[in-house]
Amino acid sequence: MKKCKIVINGKLCELEIRDAELLIETLRERLGLLGTRYSCLEGDCGVCTVLKNGKNVLSCLILTADCDGDDIVTIEGIGRGEAPHPLQNSFVEKGAIQCGFCTPGMILAAKALLDKNPRPEDAEIAKALDGNLCRCTGYVKIIDAVRDASKKL
Amino acid sequence: MPILKDFKFHAPKTLSEALGLLDKGKTSLLLAGGTFALNTLKKTSRFPSDVISLRKIGALQGIKPQGRGLWIGAMTTVADVAGSKLIENMFPSLAQAASSLGTTPVRHMATVGGNIASRFFWADLPAVLISLGAKICVAEKNKKETLPLEKFLPERSLKKFILTGIFLPENKMSSFYFRHTRAVQEVDAPYLALAFSCSRKGARLQDVRCIVNTTLSLPLSLKNVEALFENIARAKIAAREIQEALRKDTENSKLDAYRLHLLSADLEKLAYEKM
Repeated sequence: MKKCKIVINGKLCELEIRDAELLIETLRERLGLLGTRYSCLEGDCGVCTVLKNGKNVLSCLILTADCDGDDIVTIEGIGRGEAPHPLQNSFVEKGAIQCGFCTPGMILAAKALLDKNPRPEDAEIAKALDGNLCRCTGYVKIIDAVRDASKKL
Repeated sequence: MPILKDFKFHAPKTLSEALGLLDKGKTSLLLAGGTFALNTLKKTSRFPSDVISLRKIGALQGIKPQGRGLWIGAMTTVADVAGSKLIENMFPSLAQAASSLGTTPVRHMATVGGNIASRFFWADLPAVLISLGAKICVAEKNKKETLPLEKFLPERSLKKFILTGIFLPENKMSSFYFRHTRAVQEVDAPYLALAFSCSRKGARLQDVRCIVNTTLSLPLSLKNVEALFENIARAKIAAREIQEALRKDTENSKLDAYRLHLLSADLEKLAYEKM
C-alpha cells in the first residue's frame, strides 16, 4: 500500500491506496466520484477524462500513486446542480447531451481548452475535444455549446 | 475487482536512484507517461514485480539549447514538444509530428522518451527525429552513452537502461513532414509518414535525409531517394526516377502498392512544389 496526498476538487485528500491502483478506481470506488466513467480502459474514448494540474488526461492510464502532489479536478468539481458551470449550462441549452455518457469528459476537455484559450475557433474546439468520443450527437451541438460557453466566460 | 495485478511502485527523485532500483528489481517496468506501458499491462500475463515512475526526476525534463543544438529531456511530454516555440522555429517537422500524435489528452501524458523506448511505431516521432539527425542519450548503471537514434531503435541487447534525453544538432536545414491516415472504425489511424530534411547550396540540395514511418516496423531510410535528391538541381528530377529509386529502397519492405503510391506523390510534391 502507498500513502499519497492529492488535491481532489479543491480538497486535500490523504489516501492509502494499492500500489497498482488506477486513478479511475480511486475516484470512483474510494471517493464515490462517479462522474468519471469506465468504458474502453485503453485511453481511446475519453469518458474517464479528468483535469490533472489543469490539463485533460485519461484517468484509466494513470496510477494514483503517481499523482502524489497533483491537483485533480473531476466533473463534480466544476459545478453542482444548484450552481452549474457555464459550460454545463451551455451543453444543456444547446442540446449537446443525449445519453450523457460522454458529457463529463467532454466538459472537462472543453474547460481545459477555455482556461488556456478563451476564444477558440471551431477547429480548435474540435482538436481540443479529439480525445472524447460521442456515439449520439454527431459533435456539432457539442462544438456549438463550447463556442456558446466561450462567449459567456 | 482491481484492474491491474499488484506490483511494487517506486517514485525515485534522481536518475541514479532510478538506475539502482532498476538494477535491483526482478522484473521492473519503467513508467514514463503511461499511455503505452499501462495499456500493455492490462493485456499481458508477464507482470512486472516493480514499476518505477520517472516523473519526479527533474534531470529528465525540459527543452533547452545545448551547445550547438537542442536538448529535449526524455520525460518531456509530446504536448510540450508540440507547443515549444524553440522547436517550431528550429525543427518545424518535429513540432508538426508532435501536434498530430494521438489525441489531446494522450499528448498531455505521453513522453518523447517513452515513445522511443516503447518502439510503438504508430507515432511518427522516431522517423522525424532520425531525419533531423537526433542522438539519444542512454544511461545504464555504470555508464552513459550517446548514439544516433537509428542505431538505438533496432538494438535489443540493452536491458536495464533509462533514456535521459534527445540531442538535436543545430543546422540550417529545411524539414518537411507528410502524414497519412486511414479510417479504422471511425477513428483516423496512422497509416504512413514521410520525414524529409535537407540543406541547400544554391539550387542543389545536400545532407538529404528521407525517412519513412511505415507504422508496421522500424523507420525505413530511403537511401536511393536521398542520393537522387542530393546534388541534383530540383527541376531535373523526373517522376520516373523518383519511382525507380523508391522501388529499390522498398523492395524488401512490407509496403503495399497504395502506400508506395502515397510516398511517390509526397516525393514528387517535395521535388516540384516544396523545393
